[in-house]
Amino acid sequence: MSAILDQKPDYATYPRLTRDGAREAAAQLIAMRGKGAPVKPSRLSEIEAFYRLEARLLDEERYEEWYGLLADDLFYWLPLRENRYRRDERPEFDPEAMALFDECKADIAVRLGRLRSNLVWTEDPRTRHVYLVSNVEAFETAVAGEFEAHSAFIQYRNRSEHDQAMLCGRRRDLLRMAGDRFEVVRRMIVLPQSILLTKNLSAFF
Amino acid sequence: MRARDLVDWEFGTVERRIFWDEAIYERELERIFARSWLFVAHESQIEAPGSFVTTYMGQDSVIATRGDAGAVHVFLNSCPHRGNRVCFADSGRGRQFTCNYHGWTFGIDGALKKMPKMGLYKSTPGFRMADWGLKPARVESYKGLVFATFETEAPSLGDWLGDFRWYLDAVLDAEDGGTEFLPGGATRSVMNCNWKFPADNFAGDIYHALWTHLGGSEPTLGRHGGVKVENEDSFQVSANGHGWEFNQSFLGNAAAMGDRDLLRYMRSREAAITARLGEFRAKMWGSVASATIFPNFSFLPGYFTFRTFQPKGPTVTEIHAWTLVPKNMPEDIKDRFRRGSMRTFSPSGLLEMDDGENWEQSTTANAGWVTRNQRLCYAMAPPGEVGRDDLPGDVTAGQLSDANQRLFYKRWAEMMDAESWADIPLAGAAPAEAAE
Repeated sequence: MSAILDQKPDYATYPRLTRDGAREAAAQLIAMRGKGAPVKPSRLSEIEAFYRLEARLLDEERYEEWYGLLADDLFYWLPLRENRYRRDERPEFDPEAMALFDECKADIAVRLGRLRSNLVWTEDPRTRHVYLVSNVEAFETAVAGEFEAHSAFIQYRNRSEHDQAMLCGRRRDLLRMAGDRFEVVRRMIVLPQSILLTKNLSAFF
Repeated sequence: MRARDLVDWEFGTVERRIFWDEAIYERELERIFARSWLFVAHESQIEAPGSFVTTYMGQDSVIATRGDAGAVHVFLNSCPHRGNRVCFADSGRGRQFTCNYHGWTFGIDGALKKMPKMGLYKSTPGFRMADWGLKPARVESYKGLVFATFETEAPSLGDWLGDFRWYLDAVLDAEDGGTEFLPGGATRSVMNCNWKFPADNFAGDIYHALWTHLGGSEPTLGRHGGVKVENEDSFQVSANGHGWEFNQSFLGNAAAMGDRDLLRYMRSREAAITARLGEFRAKMWGSVASATIFPNFSFLPGYFTFRTFQPKGPTVTEIHAWTLVPKNMPEDIKDRFRRGSMRTFSPSGLLEMDDGENWEQSTTANAGWVTRNQRLCYAMAPPGEVGRDDLPGDVTAGQLSDANQRLFYKRWAEMMDAESWADIPLAGAAPAEAAE
């Protein structure tokens, strides 16, 4: 059983990134533009299977198992989008700017702590999720056993009677081989919406 | 329809009709939003000449710019020629705004500068360039926060804020050097609720935190939430409909972000902030508290999230949120506030996620005819002595109370019923030196 299921977790002891570590991770994600050699088809197939597993764990609210797929040096980022003129020279993704997720693994554990408190009225009755992951591409990186992966997703949520939200987006991941499986080391989630057209992001991507 | 018949601000009941009725909403746009001082920007968002942000005043799209001479201009984001929007960016920097439709071009101050084939207008009898700029609003600032109004009869921003200014300094003037919004623009999201539910919540409803936020605060505050709110040594204060409920815990709100290094830093500033503001206001800095500047601009000390509840119809509201920090704060601490406020009060926030659900359901329940004809209860009025007579504004003892919310709806009804600004009462502000 995962450590996050302990009765009184001390999140200060959970895996964290330093601010510099987070910035380095963000810079790496921003630079991921599919420049490396494409992975061989069998590797791509393994990565696609990993994404299907991840989507199913999230759909079934098996968050502790999903948490187990995250690397201890995780950087998990969902930056804001702004409407800007094409002539605007500011970088589109700025790790110093406000974001919707800007997390290390300990922060994800805190979020899971909320969900398993059994005191979250907005998730009771539960939300029903369907998560589709597609357009998967993967590339070799300078580090053996680490892969740059790009994918697109549709995440549909429905709860109560008419309450629904559908978010589409793209993900850039750095995946690492950890024994016989992958773990997510870095993830950037790019939503097209500048105004989030739903009331919350009570979900993972 | 008289708004004062819909609100009993003495005992504390409110007709649900004010949360769904289209005609009431239309009147709010006219009588509340078109004649209040509304928050438009923090000066730090438009520091350099030529920089701009776009936002809304009520449902009016507006542009706020920094002019060449350093003044802030606010004007309608709609070309007076055929009405098209003239700026489509959320923020940026430039010399002019050119309408996509016919190419009318306006300066950074909103004045009409030129258009294609200008000669056709120059030879038009009675046409004057000066008549056709982007419609300007009155603009005034209070300690970095820029407000605007299109109402020429409105009092000054200072009179509008009145006694609330003394309390505002607890977050706007706690440290030397002023404040800024953290970079990156507003976090924006849509809720299917009436704008008044979040606005009245921030004006004076800490009561909800004891139940709504039990789960969200458990990971950072301990088992079953650990949200501690008592009526001893806590207050509600109101002035001209603005409301602030708070205790004297110095960093009670900030604790819910779960960052011990950040709390250590805040503690290290307590003596300096006390020297600057006096003990009473220093203890408000990051305390368990929430506030609304009437009608729809709210903030939370401690998390320092500042937000507007932008009306988009009687049952749709957009939340636009920023995080405010002292300019001189160390970069590492600013970054901790950036992440801490995001993780608690943003659409992904541990605490905000539970609020939205409540406000949506409070709004949509009114589809039922019987439901919508039942008044809502804003009656909580626990007895208690303030214990000091030097606090400006309408002060009541105990932050667990509906006192501020009753005064929020009193102000709402007064503005809704008033034909003109002359009919809207304004509390005289106490001299600044009256307290501490």
